[in-house]
Amino acid sequence: MKSNTIQFILDNEIYTIDWSKVDFLPSTTVLQFLRAIPGHTGTKEGCAEGDCGACTIVLAELTQDNKLTYKAIDSCLLFLPALHGKQLITIENLATKTPTATLLHPVQQAIVETNASQCGYCTPGIAMSVFGMYKTLKIPDTKNIIDSLSGNLCRCTGYGSIIEAAKMACNTIKPDHFSGIEPTIIETLKEINRSTDAIELSHKHQLYLLPKTLKQALELRGKYPQATIVNGSTDIAVRQNKTSEFHHQILDISSVTEIKQIITTNNYFQIGAGCSIEDFKKFVQQNFHEFSPITDHFASLQIRNVATVGGNICNASPIGDLIPMLIVLKAQVKTASTVNSRMINIEDFITGYRSIDLHNKELVTDIIIPKRDNDSYYFSEKVSTRRDLDISTLSIATIIKLSKEGTVDDIILVYGGLAATVKRAKSCETFLLGKQFTLSTISETINLITNDFTPISDARSTTEYRLETAGNLLLKCYYSVLNELESK
Amino acid sequence: MNNSETIFLPHESAISHVTGEASYVSDIQLRNNLLWGQVYFSPVAHATIKSYELTEALKIDGIVDILDFTRIPGINQLNTHMHDEPCLAGDKVTFIGQAIFLIAAKDRETALKAAKKIHIEFEQLEAIFTIENAMAKRNNLAPSRRIETGNPDKALESSKYRLKGRLETGAQEHWYLETQSALCVPGENRNMTVFASTQNPSETQNVVAEVLGLQSNQVICEVKRMGGGFGGKETQANPIAVWAALLADATRQPVLMQLSRDEDQKITGKRHPFLSKYEIGFDENGIITAYIVDLHGNSGSSFDLSIPILERAMYHADNSYFIENMRVTGTMWKTNLPSNTAFRGFGGPQGMAVIENAIDSIARFLKKDAAEIRFKNFYQTQTKNLTHYGQLVNNNRLSRLWDQLIKSSDYFERRKEIEKFNHSNNLIKKGLALTPVKFGISFTTAFLNQAGALVLVYKDGSVMVNHGGTEMGQGLHTKILHIAAKELGISKDNIIISPTNTSKVPNSSATAASSGTDLNGMAVKDAIRTIKKRLKPLAIKMLSKMNPTVNTGRIIFKNDRIYSKSNPEISISFAELAKQAHLEQISLSATGYYGTPNIYFDREKGKGKPFHYYAFGMAVSEVELDILTGNTRIIRTDILHDAGKSIHPEIDKGQIMGAFMQGVGWCTTEVIRWDAKGNLLNCSPDTYKIPGIGDFPLNYKAELLKNANNPNAIHQSKAIGEPPFMLALSVWLAIKDAISSVADHTKEPDFSLPASKEVVLLSIKKLKESL
Ligand SMILES: Cc1cc2nc3c(=O)[nH]c(=O)nc-3n(C[C@H](O)[C@H](O)[C@H](O)COP(=O)(O)OP(=O)(O)OC[C@H]3O[C@@H](n4cnc5c(N)ncnc54)[C@H](O)[C@@H]3O)c2cc1C
Ligand code: FES
Ligand code: FES
Repeated sequence: MKSNTIQFILDNEIYTIDWSKVDFLPSTTVLQFLRAIPGHTGTKEGCAEGDCGACTIVLAELTQDNKLTYKAIDSCLLFLPALHGKQLITIENLATKTPTATLLHPVQQAIVETNASQCGYCTPGIAMSVFGMYKTLKIPDTKNIIDSLSGNLCRCTGYGSIIEAAKMACNTIKPDHFSGIEPTIIETLKEINRSTDAIELSHKHQLYLLPKTLKQALELRGKYPQATIVNGSTDIAVRQNKTSEFHHQILDISSVTEIKQIITTNNYFQIGAGCSIEDFKKFVQQNFHEFSPITDHFASLQIRNVATVGGNICNASPIGDLIPMLIVLKAQVKTASTVNSRMINIEDFITGYRSIDLHNKELVTDIIIPKRDNDSYYFSEKVSTRRDLDISTLSIATIIKLSKEGTVDDIILVYGGLAATVKRAKSCETFLLGKQFTLSTISETINLITNDFTPISDARSTTEYRLETAGNLLLKCYYSVLNELESK
Repeated sequence: MNNSETIFLPHESAISHVTGEASYVSDIQLRNNLLWGQVYFSPVAHATIKSYELTEALKIDGIVDILDFTRIPGINQLNTHMHDEPCLAGDKVTFIGQAIFLIAAKDRETALKAAKKIHIEFEQLEAIFTIENAMAKRNNLAPSRRIETGNPDKALESSKYRLKGRLETGAQEHWYLETQSALCVPGENRNMTVFASTQNPSETQNVVAEVLGLQSNQVICEVKRMGGGFGGKETQANPIAVWAALLADATRQPVLMQLSRDEDQKITGKRHPFLSKYEIGFDENGIITAYIVDLHGNSGSSFDLSIPILERAMYHADNSYFIENMRVTGTMWKTNLPSNTAFRGFGGPQGMAVIENAIDSIARFLKKDAAEIRFKNFYQTQTKNLTHYGQLVNNNRLSRLWDQLIKSSDYFERRKEIEKFNHSNNLIKKGLALTPVKFGISFTTAFLNQAGALVLVYKDGSVMVNHGGTEMGQGLHTKILHIAAKELGISKDNIIISPTNTSKVPNSSATAASSGTDLNGMAVKDAIRTIKKRLKPLAIKMLSKMNPTVNTGRIIFKNDRIYSKSNPEISISFAELAKQAHLEQISLSATGYYGTPNIYFDREKGKGKPFHYYAFGMAVSEVELDILTGNTRIIRTDILHDAGKSIHPEIDKGQIMGAFMQGVGWCTTEVIRWDAKGNLLNCSPDTYKIPGIGDFPLNYKAELLKNANNPNAIHQSKAIGEPPFMLALSVWLAIKDAISSVADHTKEPDFSLPASKEVVLLSIKKLKESL
């Protein structure tokens, strides 16, 4: 294949985009692309920032053992090259059509039967999310439904009917017309993915690099140190859509499969920087369930399916949700270039507001997390205006080790959302060390929070609320540890 | 034969919705030459425009034209009545987001690039954003209004107990999924076709005509459907249509304009924030003896619909309660914010929240259950049935609703359980509340209560129905389809509801005030009656020809057949009748019209009959509150609502659920803040949070009141769009109840609306400190 092209499957046919022939940028979003080609306006824009799900599409991709997995994704935050070697399924593909009749997909039929559409503008996105549930064989209980649909806003229905529709559609999942053609799709995708050469898309205003291996990625990083690194693109694409931020060079590492893995050794876990938040969420459920309150309420499924652990850390946002728990877990960030590799404590890696210790020719490749300390107590909580799909107003993550006498032997106490970076409450920690772990100690500690933080008022909340809640979260932590102690 | 009348079809567009085929303005695909229209908005709230320079911007490749106010061919006005909203600012701007220039470009990126090259110099003026500030500056929009009954001052004086209060209710962004959009296609002789997402195509047509300097007959406005409206497209869909039309007129090319989400949130008006002060008198049983309330609304920069909204707030200050001595005054305050506008409930929620909060305080004061106090004060049927503005509350269903809901929700049982729970839990508290709704149906501007229709029967027997109402998801077209099918006696498959088009039905009112089906349904029925009247003699002729002895006394149209009541075995099909009518030169199309009778109001006296009838509803909600974070969760909601004899129960239940959840958003997570310069801080879905699927009550049950025919509306039905919005006040007050339990209900908690996590947490903090 010529390297100025990408190929994917759309409408069951191979779709090729050759940048020596087209005028739009490689970083055009999938939503913009769909709405510009004939017959695909069913996919809607409701916000262009990942918050409404009206643009939801489903991507079918090959797994390592050559099966297809189906993922619901916000097309407004996906750059076109990310489609390469995948099957793009849009709302127009769900029903089967003859010249005179339309046979609805069970998911569509359920929405019609439960009166789950009113104005209909959110409906294609809702249908695609339910279709995602259908294809991943999710049991339609309330938890799974909320988990799969919290990325879809509907202003008309009030959601009850949508919940009914999801239940009806996914109660008995049968093979559908997509199942029938899976073998052909798999063969086609294998063919497209046969070449392991890096793809370089060059447009007169933009160079878009799509390496397939870590080696290629590092070489390209060395060759184009100015290129913007993109992985899940959920952050970069929002900036492109909302502020017209423009990137002359993009290094998209989302096709590098080597950095998507989670490897378990005797002493630690090695999380690839390209590991999706959704996979990381499952990892947390299994290994550090105390942090599930944070990962379970991270964005929406559509975002978690593509957003990465590396992207979250490299954003270095004061409200980046993974950072507090990674500090608590004493995680290390592994970076690499073509010539060397470094290990940096996560606390040192984040050097300031949206700034990180990453050298010019390096990429973050892994996060190393030591195994859990079963003698310690972990706790976390995320507070946001809305329960789901909302960025933290503030968050807390802690690890506490108590002596036999009930005094604090060790503690790491981290808050997100209280300062320009995620930060440890050092004076609180120092105060607590060696003290009896009692309510009165905690109450005294709470008074010290203002020594560590002077939070601001902004669109999400006020200083007063942040401070009050910061203290309350410490109380929550206390009660949670107490609970565990008592149950022992 | 199956009686087709009792089969309710899903939303007439349901299949198009789920296949993605349903088309909205920005989905219309034109062949070529389509330009993108972009507005240059004022970045400052109040300033004079000293100078500006467009030449740099015009030089950019792909820019076709940039218009300023001097390029407007007609009148530079968006408000055809009040003339207080310039279409493009000339010498002065009065809010952030006001349009100053219009850019036509090959695409959006190019237009945004050009916008950055526009140089403009302002001289900043002092700006007002809050009601308090406007009061201090005496900046009222119009003189205060007043409605009074009995002798409130004296009655308050002699009341056994009195409580004083103050309540702030917040703004709310409509957040229709489809942002404001319009596509304008220029035609011959400067005629213009406007495809708009507007609730009021006739007004859009008129404003476009005025600004372009055309007559109404030169402009056609068509609305296929909207991706949500909720009042936000009643007046505020006009500007974008006019802007696109100006650019299309200037460039002679079609122009599409759609606001980005953030633009839409920043520049369009919201639900009016209110600040209300009240004093309420009552006796030891909780019977309200006097109520004096001052309602103050923030109108934003212009009139828009602020005065009718204020009126509705005043009409609903009583909610469901008979109050013998009452005075409500209302004032709208002018500020430098985008003009606030219609939003589901139209002032009703703001008026009701105050009395509901007051009753809640009375209950706490008397240590009684708030639901019982509510019940005791309900309007009665024989006496105590006159509102403060002098309208009789007819067909009052409050006590029926109460009886059924109290039982079905297990209210008193659960009250006890919750009390127990709260006594044994310190970190999680529960709260419970019942609230009623009585909502007046009609436009309070009497002449607006009219509608037109045009029904076309084709000679194959298929029918196209045109009416002046617009479809925004509320199911109006589906209901009209059911009405037309019933009236014509033909199956729904043979009827299509056409897109709303001003060239078919002229001078329609906005689809608003919950009145879409009431008004347009009647107009369609009227048109069909005319056609049937013309067809009946022909039917008699045809039937008699088939059998001369047929009794032609009463002709029935049913199940696609036409027959005489006494000889149903002899019949003709509707298609045969239509075909024969055509051959016999009988007209197969007719217009229909309806005007609601007997609606009037004397603003001087503050008395009259502003409403055709009332809709009633009631809800019980239970919430759980995490007192350490202020987070709340709805555990259970039970709703019983009076929808008359429902034309379509599933659609009505859908409206109830949707309105309720939208109300929940207003009451809980939808926080709006402005900074000191008037910038909206929550100007994107990133920070503005409408309810998501996880906010739906864990347990939800809504029923329609049975045997509830409404003699005043089409097919005995009732309007449904707005009333259930206010049922969400049950959630709001359940949260207050949970907060209050922190101090064992001994103290009145600080409270406002929305009960955001901040409001809740800081209220708890204060309660704890006072203990
Ligand atoms: C609607 C919405 C909701 C969100 N909700 C949350 C939330 O609940 N919690 C939360 O924490 N965040 C949230 N985010 C923010 C964002 O999605 C996450 O931070 C996500 O993890 C970013 O990952 P990504 O792979 O998509 O990053 P990208 O956008 O691809 O990249 C982000 C940044 O990291 C850099 N980068 C990425 N990978 C590497 C690498 N391997 N080496 C070096 N640099 C790299 C990029 O250059 C870029 O600067 C949300 C975003 C959206 C749009
Ligand atoms: S358009 Fe809203 S999430 Fe993509
Ligand atoms: S049906 Fe209108 S937004 Fe969901």
